[in-house]
Amino acid sequence: MLRVGIIGMGFMGITHIQAWAQTPASLVGIVSADRAQAEKAVAQYGGTVYDSLADLLPHVDVIDICTPTYLHREMVLQAAAAGKHIVCEKPLALSVQDTQVMLDACQKAGVMLLVAHVVRFFPEYALAKAIVDRGEIGRVGVVRLTRASFKPASKNPQSWFHDLSKSGGMMMDLMIHDFDYARWIAGDVETVFARNIASRFADVPGDHAFAILRHTSGALSHVEGGWAYPAPMFRTALEVAGSEGLIEHPTGSSVPLGIHLRQTQTSDAEIAVPSSPLAENPYVTQIRHFYDVLTGANTTPRVTAEDGAEAVRIALAAIESARTGRPVAIQEMQS
Amino acid sequence: MRIGIMSYAHLHADAYIENVRAIPGVELIGLADDDLDRGAQAAGAFGVNVFSSYEALLAEKPNAVIICSENANHRPLVEMAAAAGVYVLCEKPLATTVEDAQAIVDACYKAGVMLMTAFPMRFSTPVLEVKKILDADGLGQVYAINGTNQGECPKHLRAWFVDKKLAGGGALMDHIVHLADLLRWTLRSEVVEVYAQSNDILYAGETEVETGGLVMLTFASGTIATIDCSWSKPPYYPTWGGLAMDLIGEKGLVTVNAFKQNLTVYTHSRKRPHWAYWGSDANQAMINEFVAAIRENRLPRVTGEDGLRAVEIVAAAYESVTTGMPVAL
Repeated sequence: MLRVGIIGMGFMGITHIQAWAQTPASLVGIVSADRAQAEKAVAQYGGTVYDSLADLLPHVDVIDICTPTYLHREMVLQAAAAGKHIVCEKPLALSVQDTQVMLDACQKAGVMLLVAHVVRFFPEYALAKAIVDRGEIGRVGVVRLTRASFKPASKNPQSWFHDLSKSGGMMMDLMIHDFDYARWIAGDVETVFARNIASRFADVPGDHAFAILRHTSGALSHVEGGWAYPAPMFRTALEVAGSEGLIEHPTGSSVPLGIHLRQTQTSDAEIAVPSSPLAENPYVTQIRHFYDVLTGANTTPRVTAEDGAEAVRIALAAIESARTGRPVAIQEMQS
Repeated sequence: MRIGIMSYAHLHADAYIENVRAIPGVELIGLADDDLDRGAQAAGAFGVNVFSSYEALLAEKPNAVIICSENANHRPLVEMAAAAGVYVLCEKPLATTVEDAQAIVDACYKAGVMLMTAFPMRFSTPVLEVKKILDADGLGQVYAINGTNQGECPKHLRAWFVDKKLAGGGALMDHIVHLADLLRWTLRSEVVEVYAQSNDILYAGETEVETGGLVMLTFASGTIATIDCSWSKPPYYPTWGGLAMDLIGEKGLVTVNAFKQNLTVYTHSRKRPHWAYWGSDANQAMINEFVAAIRENRLPRVTGEDGLRAVEIVAAAYESVTTGMPVAL
């Protein structure tokens, strides 16, 4: 039986533990800075609370890293050194150099590094990819991707999300989903030109950015990301135009259910995620896929460590472009 | 008031013929076209009087003309009309080069004739609501605008749309100007930088011009905006295309889709969904304004300078495509 340990009991850690519970894997332990949350989780899902990653690692086959981004590098290196397979939340790391070190360490240790780019497991995004791969819309010409919400943890100014050195900011934390998806759909990226508003308006409570990607194939992608919407809004949109057809999935079209109750609902949600009523939520689909890959039932991971590293590289190019005001070639982003 | 139409090259002429006829006290004296067959087509379809030449039309001394020629032919026709002392409404884009656009504006200024650029989207009722909200500071500081003006490749409507010489280019030339103008107008700010990328994957092999394009604009106000001007709608799309903006600002989000007011219609004969538009007629409102400005002897709500500014943005976009770098304006 596959023995799983999770480190990090924030929003994503809890989401992952719920997903692991729906696989045959055995949850053996949790490490979290939030001890009370960890105790609550083991009470519900089983396993033991450990004090540190070092204490947990000997008991697991795979460690699922759901900690803030700036902690990923050291935790991945520690797990690889212990010879454990790794699931790591996106973004994989905050620099190209870090991703290289992490990939090298995992390769040397012979362990798998699976990066949780969950958008690849959202059925509408996976279906669009399948339709493109079947050649139904011909060559991909222009891709449009939007993902915008309010600022996460807005009531907690101390949150790691707000510290650029810890989260990389909106373009790294949020837009990376669509940078990865654009590359999945249209292939490797050559140049990035991006603009964001946080640097233009010092008092902006959020951030909003546009990026224009040129892919090696000649395809273009328009990627929009934002933490500047009023809460509790969260919108995503997807469009792929090809030489022989078009796929559209406009904002709001994945909402088959409208709930409009008279009582005013106030949202205290710290972080928004898109959701649609489904037999299986995409986070579960993702973890089940990882389970199959880790147990050898599936030998083709839908997202590789290289994919995770390349997404970081595109995000860094976009951040660099927004900072300098010039287009950035992906090749420039070496460290 | 008597109005003539110079050239039937642009398909918008169809709408303008009906729009002019709908205004009380305005007479459509007829149409001239250097392509005599094309002129005869208009005569057949709309029962319009056709003149043998532009000179013959202008000799009838209309108060104003609407110029619907191929983009590259706007300049000689505007100059001809201005020399005859006739007011001009010119189809968009005003010209294919900044030099021509400037010459058009200068010719009308020197001749003392009013020049209006045909930007009907300024008269779209949903867009006017956005203008009202921004003018009332309803969104506060506007941070970013995501604009799309995508359409089908207009090649099957008129072949010259994909003729580099006559159209001046492809999707960038065709579909940047509407949003460029709306953004300048709603933001009350000018563009200071343009970045653009284009490709020719959509409708590959069918045209000699670019069919895909993405443009990033930075305004003096600090607002960033993108325009997707791609011909990314297939010819069997439920309608020709559309124009939409998401405006993100200090106070929240405003979204507008200028062509959302339609019925989805399914028929045995078409065998695909069709969007039948029921919203207000922006073309009619634009022609009404042209006539009203002439009658009231005032500047129209959209001027020749507005057309020139939009052409400058298009020219900068093409320069950016060539150099790969953002272009300062």
